[in-house]
Amino acid sequence: MSYIVPIGPYHPALEEPIHANLVTDGEIIRDAEVFVGYNHRGIEKLATERNAIQTLVLVERVCGICSHSHALTYAMTVEAINGVTVPKRGEYIRVITSELERLHSHFLWLGIACHIIGHDSMFMHIWDEREVIMDLLEKLSGNRVNYAMVTIGGARRDIDDDLKREILKGLEALKKPLDRIVEIALTDKTIALRTKGIGVMPTADAIRMGAVGPHARASGVKIDVRKDSPYCSYEDFDFDIPVCDSGDVFARVVVRALECYESVKIIEQALNKLPDGPINNGNKIPKIQVGQATCRHEAPRGQLSHMVVGNGTLNNHRVSIHVPSYKNTPTVPFMLKGNAVADAGLIIASIDPCFSCLDR
Amino acid sequence: MQEYKRIDISKDQIVPVAERMRKDGRYLVMIHAFINTEGQMDVSYEYAVDPVIEAYHVVGETVLPDIAPVYDLAAEWPERELNELFGIEFEGLDVSKRLFLPEDMLDPEGRGQIMVTPLKELVEKNIKKQGGEI
Repeated sequence: MSYIVPIGPYHPALEEPIHANLVTDGEIIRDAEVFVGYNHRGIEKLATERNAIQTLVLVERVCGICSHSHALTYAMTVEAINGVTVPKRGEYIRVITSELERLHSHFLWLGIACHIIGHDSMFMHIWDEREVIMDLLEKLSGNRVNYAMVTIGGARRDIDDDLKREILKGLEALKKPLDRIVEIALTDKTIALRTKGIGVMPTADAIRMGAVGPHARASGVKIDVRKDSPYCSYEDFDFDIPVCDSGDVFARVVVRALECYESVKIIEQALNKLPDGPINNGNKIPKIQVGQATCRHEAPRGQLSHMVVGNGTLNNHRVSIHVPSYKNTPTVPFMLKGNAVADAGLIIASIDPCFSCLDR
Repeated sequence: MQEYKRIDISKDQIVPVAERMRKDGRYLVMIHAFINTEGQMDVSYEYAVDPVIEAYHVVGETVLPDIAPVYDLAAEWPERELNELFGIEFEGLDVSKRLFLPEDMLDPEGRGQIMVTPLKELVEKNIKKQGGEI
């Protein structure tokens, strides 16, 4: 007999609300449907009543995890409309903040994934190491969330030699625990049993449904905005894009774990090659010129795009924000089909969903 | 700096462009909409032709063909969102369920009003609908 099992909007495995209806046949999910919109705050509407600097503050609050990504993408878009060139040092500082954000986001997700599968010692270990990154972000920006590191035309805070040494020291201290975490993730029997062959998304389906970020890369789709359409001087850095072919939850663990190494590599290069010069073009509130632009950024969860329309005044005419979870969430019902009800929470969480981002 | 290339097309060209992009393996970044300064609906279909974004704009149309058969869910959700927020009708798209807004939000007269009506007006409509006085 078939039953409909509702999950959410509030569920212990998910920090944010999503509602899924699972059509089950015994323990197996035969069909599924997801419902979003529980966090809709009308941020795009609010942005039309704010100037560019106020909007930076607003969009940074779209999401608590990838706050810098939103501020950065919005700033890049306004700079594209106004034809502003960002000083090289400012771009490098933006990259350093972005990659620290990616590190903390991936550590957070890896910890939560372990918690969902009942491997709590690993969860605590990963979150303990994540504190190193959070401390670095706090030293860099003064904040643990909403870093306020971006302004239109550059970065807001500089990195002096002492801070540079501290960040490099912190990254060095992170390497050994990261090796250990990756080793456990790749070899632990509990993790393998709960994640291998679960929530499979084949490459063709990932492309068909438009999956992005680590979710797509775990299904063998090699897309990354940092390589495909370089911005913020990402072309200056040597890094790889980890890709897995199996498309299951295990592949998503592996891709995110390996991406942490690449982020460390990028930050070290950026700090060691940090150019001299100004970090921004001053703090004037810019008029947003008549025009339209869309810019993309590879946020921790995948491609983030902001579209801004300017009408020659201080305020935005229109801001449209589209996040990686917007692309990845529709793929969840497909991944749930054929899996056990007990794995539903893990499969939903495996895309590293952010519903406050998605709903805006 | 990422390049944004605007290309104006007519409504009839939306599906052929989508099919060509799909065939070339291009990624649909997003479908955006806004009311331009002349009060017309401006819908842009943005594709990643790396490293450039090619944005195909259709101006002044509120009934558009559905490209979900070409781009699957990557197009379906943006189209449903634009239907809710701007009232754009996509021929053949199932809009029987809400995506972001509450099911009871001024339906059916409130559909498509959220981005084009001042917030104060929407609040007043909602109060009246519930039998309250302003």
